[in-house]
Amino acid sequence: MTFAETIASARAENRTLLSEVEAKAALGDAGIPVTATTLAQTREAAAAQAEAIGYPVALKVVSPNVAHKSDVGGVVLGLESHEEVAEAYDEIIRSVQAAQPSAVIEGVSVQEMASPGVEVIVGVTTDPQFGPVMMFGLGGIMVEVLGDVAFRLAPLGEGDARDMIDEIQGRQVLDGVRGQPPVDIGAIEAMLDGVSGFAAEHPEVAELDLNPVIASPEGAIAVDARIVLAEA
Amino acid sequence: MSVPGHPLDRMFNPKTVAIIGDKGPNYMWLRNNQPFKDQGGNLYSVQIDEKEIPGIEELGIENFRALTDIPEPVDYALVAVPRHVSPYVMKDLIEAEVGGAAFFTSGFAETGEELGVSLQAQITEMAREANFNVVGPNCMGLYLPRVGVRFNPDVPVANDGRVGFVSQSGTHSIMFSLVMGANGMHLSRCASFGNAIVLDISDYLEYLTEDPETEVIAMYVEGVKDGPRFVKALGAATARKPVVVWKGGQTDAGARATMSHTGSLASSHAVWRGIMRQCGAISTNSLDETVDAVKVLLDAKPSTGKRMALMAMTGGQSVSITDAFVGEGFEVGRLGEQSYEELSSFFNIVGGSFQNPLDMAGTVQGKRETLERILGILDADESVDALVMEQSAMFGARQWKDHPERVDDLVDTLASHIERSAKPFLMVMHPAHEEAFVSEVRLKFAERRIPVFASFERAAAAAAQALPHGTRS
Repeated sequence: MTFAETIASARAENRTLLSEVEAKAALGDAGIPVTATTLAQTREAAAAQAEAIGYPVALKVVSPNVAHKSDVGGVVLGLESHEEVAEAYDEIIRSVQAAQPSAVIEGVSVQEMASPGVEVIVGVTTDPQFGPVMMFGLGGIMVEVLGDVAFRLAPLGEGDARDMIDEIQGRQVLDGVRGQPPVDIGAIEAMLDGVSGFAAEHPEVAELDLNPVIASPEGAIAVDARIVLAEA
Repeated sequence: MSVPGHPLDRMFNPKTVAIIGDKGPNYMWLRNNQPFKDQGGNLYSVQIDEKEIPGIEELGIENFRALTDIPEPVDYALVAVPRHVSPYVMKDLIEAEVGGAAFFTSGFAETGEELGVSLQAQITEMAREANFNVVGPNCMGLYLPRVGVRFNPDVPVANDGRVGFVSQSGTHSIMFSLVMGANGMHLSRCASFGNAIVLDISDYLEYLTEDPETEVIAMYVEGVKDGPRFVKALGAATARKPVVVWKGGQTDAGARATMSHTGSLASSHAVWRGIMRQCGAISTNSLDETVDAVKVLLDAKPSTGKRMALMAMTGGQSVSITDAFVGEGFEVGRLGEQSYEELSSFFNIVGGSFQNPLDMAGTVQGKRETLERILGILDADESVDALVMEQSAMFGARQWKDHPERVDDLVDTLASHIERSAKPFLMVMHPAHEEAFVSEVRLKFAERRIPVFASFERAAAAAAQALPHGTRS
């Protein structure tokens, strides 16, 4: 499905929030690294998809009604085999149905697990005066509690991505602390530029959050993705 | 000097000015603009109230009963009529092909009431249709120090202004002009633009960008109506000259005040700051920060280096000056070996020190040659990017009062050093218990373009923001 088709189908269903699977497919098509994510609607499909992706995998519930997947038992991480995936599939369906009986469950997403690294956030918001604005920050409490984020107008110009990365107060975490290796800054820059280009190309996108993106010496990859469309 | 062919050029370089609707007993606007007449400009009044006319004529200003009766083309008009009269005045302004008009008149959309909103809509439509330049309404209009057009009786008339200022607030434009003057710096042109029904911040910014008299641009802004246009104008401006943007309404409560002041939509402060950086502008948060940043931009040579040589008069001040500069991200490291060798040959280390910072009152003791020698050593030191020196009003004021020639000598020493050196030089003189004396004496420094700051912290903050953009060559 192209992104235009995804948007059309969301509009037809009268929703502005895209599913994680839809968001990642669109971003992946635009060349932005995202963890391989597919939608399974049976335990067998989940197991087969996991074989194709390669272990370990994570399973997450796909439902337009569930806001916080882990709160309803909708997330299982670190699955290492065909059997574990099949069991986890059933377990997720069972717990979500128990916790939130009214939720419409579309299935379960099967996701590649990123290798460990530093969690960062890349996003786009729409400013009332200036239009689309890019955001970058370190993940977790750095952004939530300390508000340690950098903003720039989209689309980014040359050097803007690097300036955003250098502007955050926790910058040195990316250079490696306590014996951690430095992460690939160029890969984060490329992701910021890629997302900026994606936002410029798709003005229908009102909000975009890649949270977290795992940055490591090997690169940067979005593990979760959320796209909200502007009201039609 | 002007920007020939620019649509705002006539009003920014007026030869004829009309004040419409000024009234006694104070005739505030006519008095504000008396210097324009004194310098040979044609200053006229337009007033139909018979009771007011004798008072106007007593000021030596010719009054006309209609704008269209004025024999010369009017380049700039200041309108101070009651709001319900403003559409009639607008009609005349357009008919007389005035270069531009500022409406001091208020009571428009900023009131939120129906009459004000509809009057504003009416004059906006008239002006837009005629492509007429309106400053405001609900503003203080233009301040053109060189020709003597003023928005306040105390702001200086001066022909050496190099700073353009644009402000959404009338008060801030006046106070900025006054405080700049009190620091020996003058404006080239200033516009207080209020409700900005026709001309908006980007129009003024574009003019100042082109204006050869304006070397540095500063502005006070609460919010912008056309964000993308502002970003474009700002980026184009910073490519030509430094721009300082003082943003009001950064807190949630401040943003609410902004809404009711000028009806501006507020972006989050973090977003605003990011965009300013992206545009290459310097962001400030207050009047003092803005004045300080402008001072660095005007009178300091540029430097991207962070290695400071700090000179203080006493041990305690050596500690404080270091804390202030390191706190703003500067480095206060060791000087070069050559410098230590030379300093050790004459530096008085009893009660002093020549590490970095230099604690040097005991060595200099008011001797010009010694100060020159120290400045020369630091200037030659390749591990030093910029110099900052404390002068103590606490200790100095008494002897400077008794021996004014010592001030002149110090000023000359420092000014000559700055002229010779390629490195930025900043001076800090805390007023201590001598505020009045310091406010006078610092003008002597300013006259010779020695930038003087009131505290270590203010100097350090301004340097951190503006030093790379210093315009002095």
